[in-house]
Amino acid sequence: MLAHRSAALAGALALALALTACGSSSDDADTAGGSGEKGGTRVFTADNGKVTIPARPERVVATGYAVPALIEGDAPLVGISSWQRGEPLLSDEDLATYKKLTKVAGESAAETNYEAIAEAEPDLIVLGVPTPVLGDIDMDRLKSIAPVVAVGPTVPSQWREVSRKHADAAGVLASHEADKAAYEAKAAELRKKYQGVLSGLEFGHIGAYGDTSKGTFQREFGGSWGTSVAQDVGAAYYGKVKKAGPGSQSVSEYPSVEELSDSLGEADAITYSVNPDGSVPESVKYAMESKLWKNLPAVKDGRTFPIAYTEAATYQDAMKTLDAIDTSFAPLLDR
Amino acid sequence: MSAAGVRVAARVAVGLRAERRTVLVCSVLVALMLGLGLLGLCYGASWASPGKVLAVLAGSEHSVVIRDWRLPRVTAGLVFGAALGVSGAVFQNLTRNPLGSPDVIGLDAGAYTGALVALTVLSGTSAQLAGASVLGGLLVSAVVYLLSADRGFSGLRLVVIGIAVNAMVTALNSWIVLRAELEVAIAAVGWSAGSLNGVDWADLWVPFWVIGVLLALAAVRSRAMHQTLLGDALAVTTGVSLNRLRLLMVLVGVGCTATVTAVAGPIAFIALAAPQIGRRLAGAPGIPLLPAALAGAVLLQGADLIAQMLLAPVALPVGVVSTAIGGCYLIWLLTKEVGRA
Amino acid sequence: MTVADRVAEVTRGGRETPRVALLLGGLVLLAVTAVLSVGVGAHAVPPTEVVRALFDPRGTDDHVIVRDVRLPRALLAVAVGAALAAAGALIQTLARNPLAEPGVLGVTAGAGFAVTVGSALGLAGAQTGQLVFAVAGSVLAALLVMAVGRRSPLRLVLTGVALTAVLNGIALGLRLMLPDTFDAYRFWSVGTLAGREQAPLAVPLTAIVLSLAGALLLSRPLNALALGESVAQTLGAGVARTRTAALVLITVLSGAATAVAGPILFVGLIVPHLVRRIAAGSVPWLLLYSMVLGPVLLLAADIGSRVLLPTGEVPVAIVTAFLGGPALIWAVRRYGAGSL
Repeated sequence: MLAHRSAALAGALALALALTACGSSSDDADTAGGSGEKGGTRVFTADNGKVTIPARPERVVATGYAVPALIEGDAPLVGISSWQRGEPLLSDEDLATYKKLTKVAGESAAETNYEAIAEAEPDLIVLGVPTPVLGDIDMDRLKSIAPVVAVGPTVPSQWREVSRKHADAAGVLASHEADKAAYEAKAAELRKKYQGVLSGLEFGHIGAYGDTSKGTFQREFGGSWGTSVAQDVGAAYYGKVKKAGPGSQSVSEYPSVEELSDSLGEADAITYSVNPDGSVPESVKYAMESKLWKNLPAVKDGRTFPIAYTEAATYQDAMKTLDAIDTSFAPLLDR
Repeated sequence: MSAAGVRVAARVAVGLRAERRTVLVCSVLVALMLGLGLLGLCYGASWASPGKVLAVLAGSEHSVVIRDWRLPRVTAGLVFGAALGVSGAVFQNLTRNPLGSPDVIGLDAGAYTGALVALTVLSGTSAQLAGASVLGGLLVSAVVYLLSADRGFSGLRLVVIGIAVNAMVTALNSWIVLRAELEVAIAAVGWSAGSLNGVDWADLWVPFWVIGVLLALAAVRSRAMHQTLLGDALAVTTGVSLNRLRLLMVLVGVGCTATVTAVAGPIAFIALAAPQIGRRLAGAPGIPLLPAALAGAVLLQGADLIAQMLLAPVALPVGVVSTAIGGCYLIWLLTKEVGRA
Repeated sequence: MTVADRVAEVTRGGRETPRVALLLGGLVLLAVTAVLSVGVGAHAVPPTEVVRALFDPRGTDDHVIVRDVRLPRALLAVAVGAALAAAGALIQTLARNPLAEPGVLGVTAGAGFAVTVGSALGLAGAQTGQLVFAVAGSVLAALLVMAVGRRSPLRLVLTGVALTAVLNGIALGLRLMLPDTFDAYRFWSVGTLAGREQAPLAVPLTAIVLSLAGALLLSRPLNALALGESVAQTLGAGVARTRTAALVLITVLSGAATAVAGPILFVGLIVPHLVRRIAAGSVPWLLLYSMVLGPVLLLAADIGSRVLLPTGEVPVAIVTAFLGGPALIWAVRRYGAGSL
């Protein structure tokens, strides 16, 4: 048993060394030739610069946002990080895959198990984490195992490009394109269905990341988690962040509940994030149970719409968001 | 023989007995340290036999994982543990209190502020994290020391002012985290737990040098430090320049903790528990440095092993385990008090 | 000062008049801060509308903000401020330690941790459940800290600080391992008065009011105890009973305050220090003043938490930390080690 395991370790090491050697030699080739496609490898542009990766990776380790993207794309995964916030969005089959795959890292980047990644003998590592988190990861060590591609979102609506890059790096672009086409077809169909009733309506959105303990709610504008899919259906979100910050702070803000009418008083309709099971999250409930909420014109008109699956980070996930929006908007057609 | 002579002889005899016990305890601790170190080199995603580990260490076999991944982590666990142990011993000598430790006077909180600034304002590379956390820790310690140093020195004042400054800096930290973007806040929480995961030789050379110099300083001045334990008045008469010595002790304690924090993040409670464990094992008066250092090394390396094994393959931050050790230490103090009553 | 002098000073009534006047002054201050507290916030409400909202509510947005957001919040600040200050005064009297305070001694941390774990296990959902967990947590923390730290005042304080750090560390670990279950811990890490206006608070607030009344009833025996146990025995006070009753009140007060507002440090430290001199050694007066000025301090800190920064509200516990830190430094530098 022991002998077997140390043999496996030696194998992993040999592979790691071979890959390092391979990686550096193709770097040289790249500087000399400058062409992308060459001898089974290609140059991929990621958040961490240009990386030489296998053209058709066969053993992929994924973390963070890349986990759902690559599970749904049926990429050849050999290890993933834990990714609890994406679990409710996965289909039963994908969830089974997620549970079965070896976990090589925890929820936070600091909990990365480098040896477990090496054991998985990947030929490509896809880190789906935002750039600030990379400081918690020993990139050099990961690079000594396999080429590392880091692609993470800076603003929430970027999941479209981010998941595309994840799929592209892992060699499952075709599946991604299929998902994307299905999503776009469905979005176009819904856009047509609701064109008449949505035109002229100005939307506002209340998100789930508000913090009741601070007496605030989360106001999301266009291009945020809760709004970007509804925008594809034709909902127009008005206004913008009072004081834009980096990342998600450019499309969402956290006003005090006192400012509920200042923030949403002009909205004709309001959408709000709900949990996958339809229940209203604590922080959204806080805004909705305030008497100020009942004074809002949109609420008085009965134009409030729950949207589930707003955490969608792939086209396949977002199909569920589209369904949720369809169900939620349906009463509009009867008016 | 005069009465004074008899007293001196008796004291020497007691000292010798204590010294013999110290030697024994230290040898046991060193053995434990080496054992845990070897275990750390064997343990990982896949088990390597001790024979293989020794072969790799001797250079007759080659293994990147053991030599470049596990060895730096284990060495860091031992060296950092020793540094934290010494740092705690210095502070407990200084404050004359078994609960004194550099975390209490705001060093960890200050280091966390530095790291938060690096994460939120700067781009958060590991070099920035290290530099900013050292700077933050040193700054806060300096403020605490200066506020407590005028009109003579008292360990009590140092501790209480440390608590006050610590509370303010902690409040500042939570404010920064509350304002930070969601993803950055998650990364910041990860840093605040303290972890040896993924340390490389490249991360360690400078810290090891710094710690080496500081420990050497502490060793050279340890006799003088023990004299201050007998009381300031006595120390003055024995010719120890008190203020200089005290400043030096603070520098050693703060320097050791800050260096460890820069690389690994705040690792709580090793500095608190190790000196007392070392002292009780050695049965010596005061808080001797060597047993504290060895106990710290054993504690941190042990905690890191537990952290790796507990939720394997997910690597838990060692700070979580060392906090639990701190909890056990408190309970142990409690049972001792109850036993005495 | 001999014991006889102090007994004489405490029992003689000659200084009552200025004390009553000062108490009235404190009540006026309380009224002013309370009015300010309902007048100030993220949404500007004109003063005339504030008055109309209080006496002639019409259900407009402004009136709703004043009556349903700010008024409950001000009441909460009054209750929590009184509870923390009274708990601080009691604990300082009991431990004879001017640095003792529910926050510093880890009692609030114990309460917060217990509620977090209780909520995560699904046991502390309702307000009664939360209160039970909070009080149980503060009882355990208080007993532990007092047992470990009874030998010296410094040790008492250090034990409290260490216990707080241990509990925070364990909570952080739990949060890293089970992020969904322990997400609620964020609330328990920084105390706040915001966003509590919809929560049902009748049970904890009743507990606070009853305990405050109990503290006033207990203040005479405590007064005797403050003069020393031998004096207390000659005056006929049941020492052990008084101590136990005081400990129960301290833990219920800090537990209930933490259950509704999360951990708020230093209110219980600053207020008794501010009023100690006016109370001049009388425990009943010390408690009365604390119960009036505790709310004033917390209301003021809460107003500050809303207006100090242009970027938006900060949790009130951050403001009290920045008030209490310097106060603690001042206290230890002024009284020095000798007073301990």
